[in-house]
Amino acid sequence: MTSLPGTRRLLMTWALLMALTVLSMVSARLDQDDWQSLPLWSAGLVIAATGFKAQRLLMVYLNLRAATPAWKGTFVGLVILTLALIAGSYLVARLTG
Amino acid sequence: MNERKLPNPGWGPLSALPGNPLMWVLILSEMLVFSAFFALYAAERVSATALFDASQRELDPLMGGLNTLVLLTSGLCVALAVEAVSAARIRRARQWLAAAMALGVLFGVIKVVEYSSKFAAGITPETNAFFGFYYGLTAFHFAHVLFGLALLALVTWRTTTENVETAAAFWHMVDLIWILLYPLLYLLR
Repeated sequence: MTSLPGTRRLLMTWALLMALTVLSMVSARLDQDDWQSLPLWSAGLVIAATGFKAQRLLMVYLNLRAATPAWKGTFVGLVILTLALIAGSYLVARLTG
Repeated sequence: MNERKLPNPGWGPLSALPGNPLMWVLILSEMLVFSAFFALYAAERVSATALFDASQRELDPLMGGLNTLVLLTSGLCVALAVEAVSAARIRRARQWLAAAMALGVLFGVIKVVEYSSKFAAGITPETNAFFGFYYGLTAFHFAHVLFGLALLALVTWRTTTENVETAAAFWHMVDLIWILLYPLLYLLR
């Protein structure tokens, strides 16, 4: 059994994850009635918030902080690679579409 | 890291991972599978941007966002169940697991409502490539939610630290995949 994050850290992480989700929704301008493409800064904010959420979930909820740096790097690296792929294709679609 | 301090001594490279090492193998493989699907989606989007943009308008990002909040809260409940069972508070752990399952069911209900409205509007997986991905990715994820609920029910019955920790890891993986799926399908336009 490894050392667990503790209730306080879990609650703080949960609050952060909820806040980042709301931030993503606001960044995506869901309040607007007319549907239009997001400004690039807004899309960037959505992707950054998603990456940070995934990192926090891995480190705290999944307790990966107790693992070695190599494993942390593997999982966080895979998330970054996936998000880079999503961001890259989004950019290409926006710039060429 | 000192061999004696490893969470799972005797598991080779997996020794350094917390919880059940095999669950981490599953998490890594699921992440790779979903990433491959995301790559396919991304490639299709580039080749049919107008179609994907027009189709994406039919989705309800608020419902998707609500489901994200529900699933993240469910993840908190599961993590608190792990804390409780490791402190030998079995009854409390079961209460947290029950709360997590209730939220998991709520996620399913919201998803079914969303699917129903799409089907009622005549939108099916056959409508176009975007909706093929939408239904395919979300249904595949939904299947994981259902399996996760079954796992949580099982460990609510057989409540040991190892069991709860293993089911919790699976549930958090389901959470992690949704975190990546939500902006891809609903928000980035």
